[in-house]
Amino acid sequence: MSLNFSSPLFLFGLLGVSIPILIHLLTRRQQKQIRFSAVYLLAQSRKRSIRKSRPNRLLLLLARCLAIALFSMALANPLFSFRQSEAFLSASPASIVFILDDSYSMGIRAKDKTLFDSALEYITEGLNKSADNSEFSMILASSPARIEQDWTSDKSTLTAKLEEQAVSYRTTHIGEAVDKAIKLLESARQKNKQILLLTDLDKNGWKEETFFGLGAPYPIQVLNFSQLQSDSNKGMVQSIQVSQEFLTRSRLLRVKAEIKNFSSTVNRMPLSLFLEGKLVKEKLLDIPPGQTLVQEFSYPLRRNQPLNGKVQISDDALPADNSRYFPFHPSQNIQVLVVDGDPETISHQSESFYLERALNPFSVSLSHIDPTVSTLAELPLRNLSDFSVIILANIRELPSGYELELEKFVLNGGSLLLGMGDQVDPKYFNESFGNLLPVRLESQYQVREGALHLLLKNNTHPVMKVFSPKALEEMRGINFYSMYTVQAREDKKFKVGTWFSNQHPAVIESEVGKGIVVLFLSSLDRDWNDFPIQPTYLPWVQRWTQYAARGLENISQQDLLVGEPFRKHTKDNKWIVRSPDGTLHILENEVFSDTFQPGVYRLFSLPSANTAEPGLLTKLPHEAHPVGTFTVNIDTRESESGKISQKEIENLLEGTKLEFLEPQNQTAQPKTSDGIPLTTPFLLMVAGMLLIEGWMVRKE
Amino acid sequence: MENSAQKFDAQVLSRISTLKMTAMNLVDGLLTGQHRSRHKGSSVEFAEYKDYSPGDEIRHIDWKVAGKTDKYHVKQFEQSTNLKCTVLLDTSGSMGYQSPLDGHSPKMEYARNLVAALSYLLLKQFDAVGLTLFNNQVVEYIPPRSKASHFQHILHGLANISPQGTTAVTEVLGGLAERLPRRSLLVLVSDFFVQNQDLQKSLKLLCSRGLEVVLFHVLHPDEINLPFEGDMIFESLEEDPTLSLDPQDIQEEYQNAIQDHINSLKKDCNGLGVDYVFLDTSESLDQALSYYLLKRKSLIKL
Repeated sequence: MSLNFSSPLFLFGLLGVSIPILIHLLTRRQQKQIRFSAVYLLAQSRKRSIRKSRPNRLLLLLARCLAIALFSMALANPLFSFRQSEAFLSASPASIVFILDDSYSMGIRAKDKTLFDSALEYITEGLNKSADNSEFSMILASSPARIEQDWTSDKSTLTAKLEEQAVSYRTTHIGEAVDKAIKLLESARQKNKQILLLTDLDKNGWKEETFFGLGAPYPIQVLNFSQLQSDSNKGMVQSIQVSQEFLTRSRLLRVKAEIKNFSSTVNRMPLSLFLEGKLVKEKLLDIPPGQTLVQEFSYPLRRNQPLNGKVQISDDALPADNSRYFPFHPSQNIQVLVVDGDPETISHQSESFYLERALNPFSVSLSHIDPTVSTLAELPLRNLSDFSVIILANIRELPSGYELELEKFVLNGGSLLLGMGDQVDPKYFNESFGNLLPVRLESQYQVREGALHLLLKNNTHPVMKVFSPKALEEMRGINFYSMYTVQAREDKKFKVGTWFSNQHPAVIESEVGKGIVVLFLSSLDRDWNDFPIQPTYLPWVQRWTQYAARGLENISQQDLLVGEPFRKHTKDNKWIVRSPDGTLHILENEVFSDTFQPGVYRLFSLPSANTAEPGLLTKLPHEAHPVGTFTVNIDTRESESGKISQKEIENLLEGTKLEFLEPQNQTAQPKTSDGIPLTTPFLLMVAGMLLIEGWMVRKE
Repeated sequence: MENSAQKFDAQVLSRISTLKMTAMNLVDGLLTGQHRSRHKGSSVEFAEYKDYSPGDEIRHIDWKVAGKTDKYHVKQFEQSTNLKCTVLLDTSGSMGYQSPLDGHSPKMEYARNLVAALSYLLLKQFDAVGLTLFNNQVVEYIPPRSKASHFQHILHGLANISPQGTTAVTEVLGGLAERLPRRSLLVLVSDFFVQNQDLQKSLKLLCSRGLEVVLFHVLHPDEINLPFEGDMIFESLEEDPTLSLDPQDIQEEYQNAIQDHINSLKKDCNGLGVDYVFLDTSESLDQALSYYLLKRKSLIKL
């Protein structure tokens, strides 16, 4: 409960209360002295009449003082509110842990400032009024929760720390923050201990599992700042999917954005696509209330260069979720050496015919795979280091000693794909490819009646996940008439990518050194199956090739959420990461964790000769050259999760003494809605006081 | 030395002469047409018959009764002696009250004139008059004499009064009761501002000794009405603690208290057959005295 005044200047009128007091005191001082005979009788009379006479004068004084005080307060336009403002700071010294929710949802604007700013002001003002000898500490409740200020009795230290704070782009993690607060309070000095939680009660921060067994032995006061919110978060960019479409001479960038409308009315908002900081496309959307709308942008790419962009909607109360960043890095061409073990003069009868066309259906520039077909005889002429992937299609035997070169190629990071066929000699493979193949080839298995099919139970494998259910259904219908059976080698680890319907593996993959070996146990041409003439053959072959060449895990395709670490895949060089705010970090480890700001992070490679110390850089070295980018976006769960109710909190923190308070907007002018206006009652009380005063004077 | 010095104090002498003149004027006015009859009838009044016994004077035998009844009866008459009167005047501090408000005569001045007037009156009737001044003890004692020149002693005693000390009426009366002549008149002049003292008991003692007691209760109008205004500090003329208050606050209570005090005193006197005379110093003394004497005369006639 509180009493506010919309015109507090009039409260200076309270000084007028001193006038009747002064008059009272001055008149008391003008006492006459008299020598009297019956003083004992006077004393007896005063004893009898003291109840009537003495209070009358005091009551008169009180009535006059009250009349003046009430009148000045009435002029100050008083508003009475049941909201409590300063209840959290006890009069006696206490140990208080401030849990400050600095998640991005606290960045919602409340008039000219954010909820987070209001929370900071609230603590600062409260500190000034707190009892001496109190000690304070502060925990930031965004994920991961962390102690920002350990126990201190120096209010200026905490105030300085508060001034440094800014709302983050992270999600909330109240459970962890409360856990840390309890541990902090165990080492507190004062007997009076309490936790003060300043939050917007965003449901995302109150995950049930984080509160398991977490009954706080100290009272928690929960200050709900969401009440101060003057404007609403109208919408957000929920997700972005980037893909490219190949045209005859160019490619098309497709950006698919999901926009959600949080408001209860149809929200008309402009949606903009920015590429490299420039607005390239804009659309006006009408999104039904509470619905998500998917909108796709197409943008022609004329140059084969990496791009970074963002999709943005119009500004609302919470700017953090109004834009989302994406990286786009056109795939590099993968050099593939296809070794045809069964070349024919009629091209379509060659083992590599379908394979070559699947890898490069139109031209080199579009498929990003650059196949080179070679016969076994030509093989010694090839420099294996020019290729990323080597596909051995139905080969009988490699040139003498070439298997060792192949092994060296794989160990250094190259990839090897093997396809079976009638030319394959299992004995040779088992003997010569002992280090590369994780299995022994047994024998050819031919189906006498009917055909084998692929068992594609799920599409969780990175290669298969792009295939739609319809495509998978088509793949299940492909007939396989012959395949090789295999037996596992005891000391080798491998994964079976796909199974045949006879419970034999169809695709086996294993990692060897830095490289990868993929074994397809049927033919890559039409000799043993119908697969090459199926529409799914082309993407299947391309995906396996890209996968084998590690093209799917391109660094440019890392789209991280705030706080998720960036992982570097190579240990070759030192890298420099430039954050969206321009700060430079030298990255020596494989993990970069300082991803707490949404935006585009640019990566630069430093020559190994550079001896720059790890840590922060002020300027990008000249010799650094860009190697890629990755983007960091906010976790939208914080935006759309809604508010948690008091009852739910009580259930989560069962056994804890909880008090729910609503902070008052202290700087804002009180509105009528902020309380009950008391001007008229005050004026009536003034009239009442004057009547009483008059009656008492008359009585005297 | 002090007393002799006071005797020749010009102020005192002036006061004595003023007092004498006042008293004489008062009493002469009162006694017009009363002096002779009162003087004749005071010694030969028949009281009762008594059987003759040897030793009685033969001239007192009522021979008419002896002739009728053949028995000797002796006539007895009231003893016709001069009245002895002792005036007790309270000289405690409270009797020295002087009002800051008006020109009413001070209470002690009023009481002094009263005593002088009564003394002169009694001496004029050839009665013996004595004066005792007291506060918490007897301050001065002038024994009763009927000589006309005795008036001068009394005046001198009155002129030397300076009110001070507390009042202890009961103790003083208790002490005097034994010394006062039996069947004499005791005139007690005081404001009777006494606390926790059983005046009734003392009066009863005096009455039991055959004394005729007359109480003159002298009060100043300020003491009756408490007419003061504003915050005041009341210093006691006796030894009560100083009091700071606005008299308006307690005026009603005080007036009730003083009336209760007067009524209580009057009631006690009536119960004991003691004459109670209330004197307000704002009233003229001659009127008050003549009213009393007329009242007394009518009572004697009855």
